[in-house]
Amino acid sequence: MEMEGNGKVRIGFYALTSCYGCQLQFAMMDELLQLIPNVEIVCWYMLERDSKEVEPVDIALIEGSVSTEEEIELVKKIRENAKIVVAVGACATQGGVQSWEKDKDLEELWKTVYGDGKVKFQPKMAEPVENYIKVDYKIYGCPPEKKDFIYALGTLLIGSWPEDIDYPVCLECRLNGNSCVLLEKGEPCLGPLTRAGCNARCPAYGIACIGCRGAIGYDVAWFDSLARVFKEKGLTKEEILERMKIFNAHNPKLEEMVEKVFQEVKE
Amino acid sequence: MKNVYLPITIDHIARVEGKGGVEIVVGDDGVKEVKLNIIEGPRFFEAISLGKKVDEALAIYPRICSFCSVAHKLTAVEAAEKAVGFTPREEIQALREVLYIGDMIESHALHLYLLVLPDYLGYSGPLHMVEEYKKEISIALDLKNLGSWMMDELGSRAIHQENAIMGGFGKLPDKSVLETMKKRLKEALPKAEYTFELFTKLEQYEEVEGPITHIAVKPRNDVYGIYGDYLKASDGNEFPSEEYKEHIKEFVVEHSFAKHSVYREKPFMVGAISRLVNNASLLYGKAKELYEAHKDLLRATNPFANNLAQALELVYFTERAIDLIDEALAKWPIKARDEVEIRDGFGVSTTEAPRGVLVYALNVENGRVSYADIITPTAFNLAMMEQHVRMMAEKHYNDDPEKLKLLTEMVVRAYDPCISCSVHVARL
Repeated sequence: MEMEGNGKVRIGFYALTSCYGCQLQFAMMDELLQLIPNVEIVCWYMLERDSKEVEPVDIALIEGSVSTEEEIELVKKIRENAKIVVAVGACATQGGVQSWEKDKDLEELWKTVYGDGKVKFQPKMAEPVENYIKVDYKIYGCPPEKKDFIYALGTLLIGSWPEDIDYPVCLECRLNGNSCVLLEKGEPCLGPLTRAGCNARCPAYGIACIGCRGAIGYDVAWFDSLARVFKEKGLTKEEILERMKIFNAHNPKLEEMVEKVFQEVKE
Repeated sequence: MKNVYLPITIDHIARVEGKGGVEIVVGDDGVKEVKLNIIEGPRFFEAISLGKKVDEALAIYPRICSFCSVAHKLTAVEAAEKAVGFTPREEIQALREVLYIGDMIESHALHLYLLVLPDYLGYSGPLHMVEEYKKEISIALDLKNLGSWMMDELGSRAIHQENAIMGGFGKLPDKSVLETMKKRLKEALPKAEYTFELFTKLEQYEEVEGPITHIAVKPRNDVYGIYGDYLKASDGNEFPSEEYKEHIKEFVVEHSFAKHSVYREKPFMVGAISRLVNNASLLYGKAKELYEAHKDLLRATNPFANNLAQALELVYFTERAIDLIDEALAKWPIKARDEVEIRDGFGVSTTEAPRGVLVYALNVENGRVSYADIITPTAFNLAMMEQHVRMMAEKHYNDDPEKLKLLTEMVVRAYDPCISCSVHVARL
C-alpha cells in the first residue's frame, strides 16, 4: 500500500449498530501489538479517546448494520474519506441478527419494544453497509475469527487483495472427522451453505451451524438443495426460512430458492 | 448583560462499549441540563425473537452484547429452562458458573486496564501505554487471555458462545483441560492481587460522593456468586426475581434508545460495587481479607468505587472458579447434556453480569418464545449515571471544558456501561 506522511498506514475502525463484538475480537488480539507500530489508528472509539471522526484514512473498517438515518450519513462520510472500505462482521456484511424480521413493519417492532415512547433519533430497519456505499472487501463472521483479521489486514497492507472463501463449513467439518449434526442427529445444520473459515467450530461441539459467516458467495449459495434436505426431514417452509434468515435475511436468492423447492413438491 | 453559554457536548464517549454521548447545558444559574444520549440504533431483540423456536432465540440473545455474551447466553438459557420446568444437575451448574467467571475475568481485566487506567495515567488510550507500562499491559493481556480461553474451552469461543444450551453443554472439555484451567487460575491469582493493589491507589472523586441505592442478586447457596433467585436492595428490601416488575419501573426517555429505570421512584445502581455493598459478608478467601483491609475505599456512596470492586472480584472469582472446578471434578466423568422436554411455561432468571443485574423473562408456548423481556445492567444504571454526571458537571462547569469532558467521561466509564446491550430493554 502506498503510504503518505509519516509512512504509516492510516486506519479507522468505525462502529454502526452492533454488539461491538468485531471490535472486541480485534482489540483482544495479541497480534495487535505488532501491528500498532506500523499503522496510525486515526479513529477507534472503543480504545482511543483521541479519535477523529471522520478524517482521511487508507483503510476504514466498519462494524455494525446501518440502523438509524444518522448512520446512513456516517457511512457516506466514511466512504468519501477512505481509500479502502472493509465491512467487518455479520452486521456490516449481512445486516446481522437484527435483520431476522426485516420484512416486518418497523412501526410494529418499535411498538413492541418502546410502546408509545418517542426518541429524537431516527430508527430504521437494519441493513448491510453495501446497501448504501461501495464496499471493497468483507470480513465475515459473528464474530470474525482472529485469523480473518490477520489475513485481510496482512494482505491489504502489502498492497494485495484478500481472496474470498468459496467452500462451505461442511467441508471443514468433514475434514475434521466430526459426526454429522445434520445427517446423523437430524438437526437443521446450515453448515452445507455457510462460508467456511471457522474450522466448523459449532458442529465440532455437536451443535448445528446457524450460519453466522453468511451464505457462500459466487452465486452458488445452495439454499435450494439444503432446503430439500430439511424438507425431507419434516421441516416446513416457514421453519426453513426462519432458520436461514437468522444471518441471511438480506440474501436476494434465499426466498426464491427455498420457494422453488416447495413449488416442485406441489407439481 | 446576559452571558452566552454554548452546550458542552461529547458526541461519542470513548472507551466504553457502544455509542453514547453527553450533553451539558449551562445557564446563568449553573448547570441546567445533563443528558446521556444513547445514539446506538435499536435492534429490537425481544420483538424479533417473538414466535421463534426457543433454541434459535437462545442462539441470538448473546448477540445483544459482546462484552458479556456469556451473561446473556446463560441467563437466557436459565430463563428458558425455568420456563419449561427443567433444573440442571449441580455439576453442570458449577461448570456454567466457571464459564460465566471466564467472562467476568476477561471483562473486568479489559475494563480496568484498557478502558479505565489510561485516564489515570494520562493517556488517551491503552495502545500508547505499551512502552511505559509493560508490566500492566502484560497482566491485562494475561488475565484477558485466561478469561477468553476459559470461554473457548467451555463455551466454544470467547464471543458468542454456542456450546451452552438447554440441558447443559453440547460437549465438555477433557478432564485434563479442567485441570490445566485450575493451574492457570492459580497462576493468575497474584496478577489479580496486583491489580487490586494498583487500583487502591487511584483517586475516587468526592464530587460524586452521596447516597446510592444498590441492587444486586441475592446469591444462591449463601456464597458470593453470580446466580440467584431473589434480588436484594441496599435499603433492606428483598424480593423474588419473578416480581422484578413490581419493584423496578422502566420508561422511555426521548434522548436515548435505551430506557431508564427507577426503584421506589428513584435511580439506583447495579454492578460490582453493588454486589459488594449487598453481599460482602458472603465473600471468602483472599478476597475477604482484602475487603476487610480496604472497606473504607469500597464505599457504597461513590460510583468510582466500582472500579476497585471489579479488581476485588478479579481476586474473588479466580479463587471461586478453582473451587467450582474441584466440585465438578469430584463428580467426573460428567454427562454433558440432559434431554429437556419443551413444555409451556414462564421463567425469570436474574444473574450478575460483569456490570450488574441482568434479567431475562421468557414465556414458551408450543416450543416458541411468546414473550421476552430483557433488562440489562446498563439500562438499570442509566438514570443514576446521568445523576452522577450532573454532580460532576455542577462542580466543574466553570473549568476548562476539556477537563470537564474528561471527568464526566470518567464517571461514565466507572459504571463500565455496555451501551449496545442497553438499547434492547423491552416491556411487553
